Amino acid sequence: MDIPAMRANFAKAAAAGDEAPLWFYSHLFLSHPETRQLFPVSMAHQRDRLFAALGEVVARVDDLDSLVPILQQLGRDHRKFGTVAAHYPAVGASLLATLEHFDDEWNAALAQDWTAAYQLVADVMIAAADEADDEPPWWNAEIIEHERRAIDIAVLTLRPETPLAYLPGQSVSLETDLRPRLWRYYSPANAPREDGRMEIHVQAQDGGPVSSALVRQAGIGDVLRLGPPLGHLALDTGSDRDLLLVAGGTGLAPVKALVDQVARYGPERRVDLFVGARTEERLYDRADLERLDKEHPWLTVTLAVSDDKYSPLEQGDVGDVVQRHGPWRSRDVYVAGTGPMVDDTVARLVGSGLPPDRIRTEVFAPSRPSPDVDGEVTE
Amino acid sequence: MTAEVQAYETGDRRLTPADVHSVRFTRGTMLRPGYNEVEVDRFLSRVGHELARHAQEKAELRDRVQTLQKQLGEVTVIEPPSDQAVRILAQAQLTADNYVAEAEDFSRQITSDARAQYEEQLRQARESAGAIIQAAHETAAKMTRGGTPIGDADGATLEQLQEQVAYLKAFGQAVRVQLRSYLEALITDVESEWGRADPGALPARPLPAATRSGAQAGPLNVAAELQRGDDRKPGPSANGVEIQGTRG
Repeated sequence: MDIPAMRANFAKAAAAGDEAPLWFYSHLFLSHPETRQLFPVSMAHQRDRLFAALGEVVARVDDLDSLVPILQQLGRDHRKFGTVAAHYPAVGASLLATLEHFDDEWNAALAQDWTAAYQLVADVMIAAADEADDEPPWWNAEIIEHERRAIDIAVLTLRPETPLAYLPGQSVSLETDLRPRLWRYYSPANAPREDGRMEIHVQAQDGGPVSSALVRQAGIGDVLRLGPPLGHLALDTGSDRDLLLVAGGTGLAPVKALVDQVARYGPERRVDLFVGARTEERLYDRADLERLDKEHPWLTVTLAVSDDKYSPLEQGDVGDVVQRHGPWRSRDVYVAGTGPMVDDTVARLVGSGLPPDRIRTEVFAPSRPSPDVDGEVTE
Repeated sequence: MTAEVQAYETGDRRLTPADVHSVRFTRGTMLRPGYNEVEVDRFLSRVGHELARHAQEKAELRDRVQTLQKQLGEVTVIEPPSDQAVRILAQAQLTADNYVAEAEDFSRQITSDARAQYEEQLRQARESAGAIIQAAHETAAKMTRGGTPIGDADGATLEQLQEQVAYLKAFGQAVRVQLRSYLEALITDVESEWGRADPGALPARPLPAATRSGAQAGPLNVAAELQRGDDRKPGPSANGVEIQGTRG
């Protein structure tokens, strides 16, 4: 394979911007109309993602050690979209047609190299998908509770029809019939239960199709589809240090799952949980947090508000409140929330002498459409 | 017997229609009129073989045709779409995308405006409620000062009691912060200094008695006790300070 030539060729298509994926998908849907139903109505975000992913593959094509795991993850994850082995040649043909269309110097050698490269990619993805077939491609899960906790926040309890194994702190993607083919990532707010029930916290993003539908339209009895779990905010089981957990907004979900894990599986240790919101009304899970605080002697929950001066709760950004209650130099720390909140909290903790390698974070945007190539679901 | 008959009797050459048309049998004798029986039988057998062979070949060919037709049915030859078709569909897709984006944008504006209004009203309500409560407190304080001072057995006024409560609260908070810092520092010490220590690397020479019984042993035991204790959480009252506002 002439990798430099392939990269040069790909660069030409990439330089065409949105035109190239637009051409690719139109070509694909015309040659294989049955593939259209695998995608959402609006293809705008899909197009960005396709070429970003292809770009990553092309960039790493000579580094199989890092490329193969990415492709395997992609292959496994694509099962939930209803992708089957028969779709791969269709995509390959349209990809080649696209690369040819945007390159005036297209030649037989390039066609041969790309065919071989694509075959390799498809083989890895298909093999990974086949290996995962002891698991269902997706899990149907019924909404058995739906509580509006704030104007734009709902807490949903889901019950998957078949068991879905995940680690506390991980995320699962989900799709609702209200917004077909749009998958978003949410973190269960509890450790796995025997009956499989999981709690998810949804904040409706203004104009966000999935989150708004989940908060305002979805109801008890609706069935969602869940994808396989991924994410990295898992508890370091090799450590029994006391914990400092810091959450902002719906970043509470993965952190609450960690509290649940300590409660259910131990090892018992001191856990300090700080939860921040702008106003008291936005502390949407307060009742349950106060219940946990009463039930568990090892847990201390501190609630903080940053924009609610008459509130008797702790005042200030949650990172600031955490710092005031420090020092925390002996703790393992988990932080989940918006980007600025995570950055601020980490900076303060590191500034006060906590080793950075003991801090694990998850930037928790309200809407998370897809993982990047490294399997991270943050935006 | 003619040469042709002999040829298909002896060789592998297959029977042709021409062979059948041109076949000539040896005439019989006066005693046995007609064609030579042996030749006729041989020929008939030959014809029978040939027919059977044809039937078998036909069956084989029919199977082959079916297989090929089936393969053809599976691989429907896909004509690559024309550039024009691709362009038209791309345009249609872009139009659809724009409509969806517009709808999302519209929804975004409406919801964020609504939310801003909601939050503003809530803020105003909260501030006026806060102001009312503050005014009520002030009035109550004035009335208490103006009227008979409420005193306990020792004659302390309400104000003094309030001061005491505030002082005790602050004291409790300070003590908690101190204790926690102390404990955290100890745990850090234990982790950084003692957690890494390899027992085999400890000096064989016993430490001076003063050091053993003094500064080191003391705090460590405290730390150990605190760590082992069943209730490592501060008492309920202190906790109430942290989760303030568990208002009934």
